[in-house]
Amino acid sequence: MSYRIAIDIGGTFTDYVAMNEETGELIVTKASSTPKNFADGVLEAVKKGGVALEEAAYIVHGSTIVINALTERKGARTALITTMGFRDVLEIGRANRTDLYNYYYTKPRAFVPRMHRFEVEERLNKDGEVIIPLDEEGVRKIALKCRQEQIEAVAVCLIHSYANSIHEERIKEILQEELPGVEISISSEVIKEWREYERTNTTVFNAYVKPAASKYLDALKSRMKEQGLKVEPYAMQSNGGTATFEMIKINPINMIESGPVGGVIGANEIGKILKEKNIITFDIGGTTAKTSLIHNNEIRITTDYKLENTPIYAGYPVKAPVVDIIEIGAGGGSIAWIDSVGNLKVGPESAGADPGPACYDRGGMQPTLTDANMIAGRIDPVRFLGGRFKVNIQKSYEAIKKISDYYRISVEEAARGIIRIANNNMMHALKLVSVRKGYDPRNFIMVAMGGNGAIHSPALGRELKVKKIVIPRHPAVFSAWGMLMTDSRQDFIQTRITKVCKENMADVNEIYNEMIEKAVKLYTDFGFRRQDLFVVKSADIRYIGQEHAVRAAVPSDELTEKDIDVIRHNFETLHEQYYAFKLPEAPIEFVNFSITAFGKVKKSEIKPFRISGKPEDAMRGRNIVDYDEDGKLEVPVYIREKLGTDSTIKGPAIIEEETSVTVLYPDQKLHVDDYGNLIIEEA
Amino acid sequence: MGNVDKFTLENIADGLVAAAEEMFLSWGRTSQSTIIYEVLDYAAGLTDARGNLIGQANGVTAFLGTITYSVKSVIDKFGYDGLKPGDIILTNDPYNGSGTHLCDVSAVMPIFYKDEIIAFAANKGHWNEIGGKSLGSWSTNATEIYQEGLQFPIIKVYEQGRLNEAVKDMIKANVRTPEMTLGDLYAQTASLRVAEKRILELVERYGKDSVLESIQMMMVNGEKLAKLELGRLPHGVFEAEDFIDTESNGIEDVYVRVKVTIDDENFIIDLTGSGPQVAAPINCSIYGAYSAARVIYRAIVCPHAEANEGFYKPLKLIVPEGTIFSAVRPAPVSCNWEATARITDLVAKALAPHIPDRMTAGHFLSIIGTIVGGIDDRTREPFVLCEPQAGGWGAGRDKDGESGLVAIGDGETYIMPVEVAETRYPIIVEQYSLNLASGDGKFRGGFGLMRDYRILNSSAELTTIASRYRYCPWGINGGTDGSCNKIQVFSDGKMAEKATFSNYFMKRNDLVRFISGGGGGYGDPYERDAQRVLEDVLNEYITLEKARDVYGVVIEDRDGELAINIDETNKLRQNRKQVN
Repeated sequence: MSYRIAIDIGGTFTDYVAMNEETGELIVTKASSTPKNFADGVLEAVKKGGVALEEAAYIVHGSTIVINALTERKGARTALITTMGFRDVLEIGRANRTDLYNYYYTKPRAFVPRMHRFEVEERLNKDGEVIIPLDEEGVRKIALKCRQEQIEAVAVCLIHSYANSIHEERIKEILQEELPGVEISISSEVIKEWREYERTNTTVFNAYVKPAASKYLDALKSRMKEQGLKVEPYAMQSNGGTATFEMIKINPINMIESGPVGGVIGANEIGKILKEKNIITFDIGGTTAKTSLIHNNEIRITTDYKLENTPIYAGYPVKAPVVDIIEIGAGGGSIAWIDSVGNLKVGPESAGADPGPACYDRGGMQPTLTDANMIAGRIDPVRFLGGRFKVNIQKSYEAIKKISDYYRISVEEAARGIIRIANNNMMHALKLVSVRKGYDPRNFIMVAMGGNGAIHSPALGRELKVKKIVIPRHPAVFSAWGMLMTDSRQDFIQTRITKVCKENMADVNEIYNEMIEKAVKLYTDFGFRRQDLFVVKSADIRYIGQEHAVRAAVPSDELTEKDIDVIRHNFETLHEQYYAFKLPEAPIEFVNFSITAFGKVKKSEIKPFRISGKPEDAMRGRNIVDYDEDGKLEVPVYIREKLGTDSTIKGPAIIEEETSVTVLYPDQKLHVDDYGNLIIEEA
Repeated sequence: MGNVDKFTLENIADGLVAAAEEMFLSWGRTSQSTIIYEVLDYAAGLTDARGNLIGQANGVTAFLGTITYSVKSVIDKFGYDGLKPGDIILTNDPYNGSGTHLCDVSAVMPIFYKDEIIAFAANKGHWNEIGGKSLGSWSTNATEIYQEGLQFPIIKVYEQGRLNEAVKDMIKANVRTPEMTLGDLYAQTASLRVAEKRILELVERYGKDSVLESIQMMMVNGEKLAKLELGRLPHGVFEAEDFIDTESNGIEDVYVRVKVTIDDENFIIDLTGSGPQVAAPINCSIYGAYSAARVIYRAIVCPHAEANEGFYKPLKLIVPEGTIFSAVRPAPVSCNWEATARITDLVAKALAPHIPDRMTAGHFLSIIGTIVGGIDDRTREPFVLCEPQAGGWGAGRDKDGESGLVAIGDGETYIMPVEVAETRYPIIVEQYSLNLASGDGKFRGGFGLMRDYRILNSSAELTTIASRYRYCPWGINGGTDGSCNKIQVFSDGKMAEKATFSNYFMKRNDLVRFISGGGGGYGDPYERDAQRVLEDVLNEYITLEKARDVYGVVIEDRDGELAINIDETNKLRQNRKQVN
């Protein structure tokens, strides 16, 4: 038998999903994450899953190694080389004051201190022409200083290097000679996009995480090989595609958000089998809620990711392609509290998994959203996590009593208030990705995931007025499942401001061909076959004189004059969608050219999953559940695993499963489809 | 009390604030002017039916008070009977509500539910071009407001949903970029309708009474929060004085002063005694002063408050007519930020030594508004590089000042990348680096910046204005003053340095250097942790000599590695104590 396996490291748990290639059967398990050495948790999950690694036909891994090295500031001792006159580019940043009224606002601190930032004599102009030649002797002197300072990684980012990488490449050669064993990262190999601060920071981050990422991936791979793994393992990238361990080691920054994207990919695949093109994903875990919008089955990728960014903190720009996901501090562990003027707030502080909500009875005294859901009867304390995890609802009462005493109301009313405020926060995030971007949620389905997704999404989907709400099988490990559904993917980008006109088409073809050549070489170097590759072209285009650029599709064949109208049409349609205006007379220009090169891997096929059983047999009793505005209702409780295909249930009802609960509202109905998904619609 | 509970009222309140934010985002998204969507030089807000602020979203701080007063000016002029559903009113009258300068245009819309006005939506932003004597409609040498562009004296641009074609044609005829300006007018007014839609959705869902009750609750909470915080501030009278030294139109230093009185109920800013208005565009109207007062009040009382009229209730401003902070027609105001920023800084200066947990030492303050423009030789098209500069901020009681951060009058304002500037304009940026002069102290002032533009075009014009040219950012509690802002032009081996340049001619290969000041220091430099001084030396922020002479830390080279000589350092630091 052969299996396809996905292993996804999260903050608390390492999720494991194995799919039998012939039968489609899923094996699902979790192990505790092991931050001291993440590979231990991964191998523990493998052990618990019970599939021998030699039976793995494919294995993909979502890892937090990169983001942890960054957020914990545990990366390499890194140096930076810049163009003369720009030593401080990393310290100046974009100079914005995100926290407008706070005189104590503190900018993001540069990851490379000034003493390790070096200038080299050289200069290119905007067209990439050499104005001042590279001072190679100067580079060797810098190398000497790096040696003295025991530098472990060097980032190189020169002004306008996206237009011509000649100096960066030469510096890399010299440094490799002078500094054997030191990781070198040059910006033109990471991202060829203009804006020197953003590119420099991205390159620095890449260099900073490179030694740790390589070490981790090498160690994990060799341990898995020792246990019999025969195939080359893949890593999940933030762009929604995978890369082999060896490929990702070149630019490990592309792994920065490798976990949550699995859920978005998975939701899109579910959308495809349901013939739904427009999807809002909604992933609620213990600490955060994440949402992403998929339009026309296209997952939105951005290079505007910022590490540690908040509404009052600028964070660090990372120009790596990342699936566009909005994340807010609202999850099961989110803590309810009262502010200085007596308003009830929920989150962003979370009790996490340890001590966790008060009901976990591990010393957590703070009232959390999970405690409120417990008191509202939505989560059955006896059946929590399939009854394997003992919770103490008395502790929930004690914790929430602090809130109810303050307002002089009952504990039940306070619990309802907490749920209402948390729902409101989540609704805010859902609106940010949808209505505020000009999309009408009525044309979308919502796919709920994460341990808490199914609890809140029926209420929120109803208020947002989405078409349907889908609760896939095993929602708690859905993100890992999604990782089995994707191809290998590499994105390339090249800034070159070029007017869209027939005179320039030859140049444009040349730019694209150069990028495609590079992509093909990369893939074939790492063992892919030419016939398994396919390339999608796009470009960031704008009206000349405007700043807003839109990434529009570009025809995939060699471009001719005739394609100009196609490109303009693609651009204007999107421009109007995003920015609500068109300028039909204005000339347009390319800002960035980009290609996405996919390397086909054999993917898991979603097979129908039939269960037999009538709803009456799946019912295990009745519970009193607080439905907020709809009142307290006595509702039937069903066991999901026993609900047969094609079962239909009218709300209100509760559907319990191993790691999640679905709260169906009075005016909703639920249907179990051929694939085992719960489909919720207005009754 | 309506029929909903407290938690629902909170959710409605969130919905109201979200409506203001959505209006803000919507305009930013649909605007055609880079100054709106790149510089975020705009704001959007909601008021109740009387013009009291419910919530506001800002890209920069300077618009903080303008929403309220714009709405109130509309109510004053038309009365409730004169307003109809679908009306949208434009105003940029600095002397009557709108506050800042003519480029900033407010649009106000009454929101009706059934036949009653229940709220107003308003927004205000910088239009790229509104006519007047200079391209971009601001100059550093105007002498009267009539030179600064077209004035909208609180007029209806939409009447019951219909565009007033006469107003449109007037705009078209009076601005240099009619298409873009009108495009922005449409985007700005459309975003008001987004807010209206959201408010009416809330009314439909929760009922009018609950929405109005929620608004009341926000005001009450805002006031409660402000008074709570006022109770924690030191009470008394605090004073400061300073000079505005832009030298625009040859105006000599303008003396300014403030007296701040704080008690449990009040926060009174009294600007009486400040110099008279001048024939240079560095005045602000009293409405500009109101906005500035709100900025510094919020920074001191609670920087993260949801700001509504209740929160601002304890704030009072006193200023006699006709000062540089309360100029009257026809005083020019196009660089009004020099006056408004100075109000915030005077109050900060008066209070900083007493509330070191909220205020840091003085910062470079002037936004150093810059225009480099001309006709591009390559395309024969005009080019206009228009931007603020970033600079050094003051040190605080537990931190060094920030280096290279935009001034208090700006906010979520991004400095243009060098690679973008060089692509767009015929210039080359020869350096963008730290200006290592800043205030010394137990905590150091942040560093200003040096930005060099070499002109690659046959000619270009430079217009720029800075204050804090001779009066540097102030240090506190023993920290020394920071360094000053200055602009230098290098041509044929000669250097011209000034605070203000107006349409100054530059030719190919000339270079202009913008030097922004470093922030003031905090505390006695001799108390700075010696390890930090060593790091400053290693990072080449300060020299070995400065470490010894200013900070009393002796650092020596031990086999190629710098280290602190502890004995010598102790001796040096002890010695000075004895001398004192």
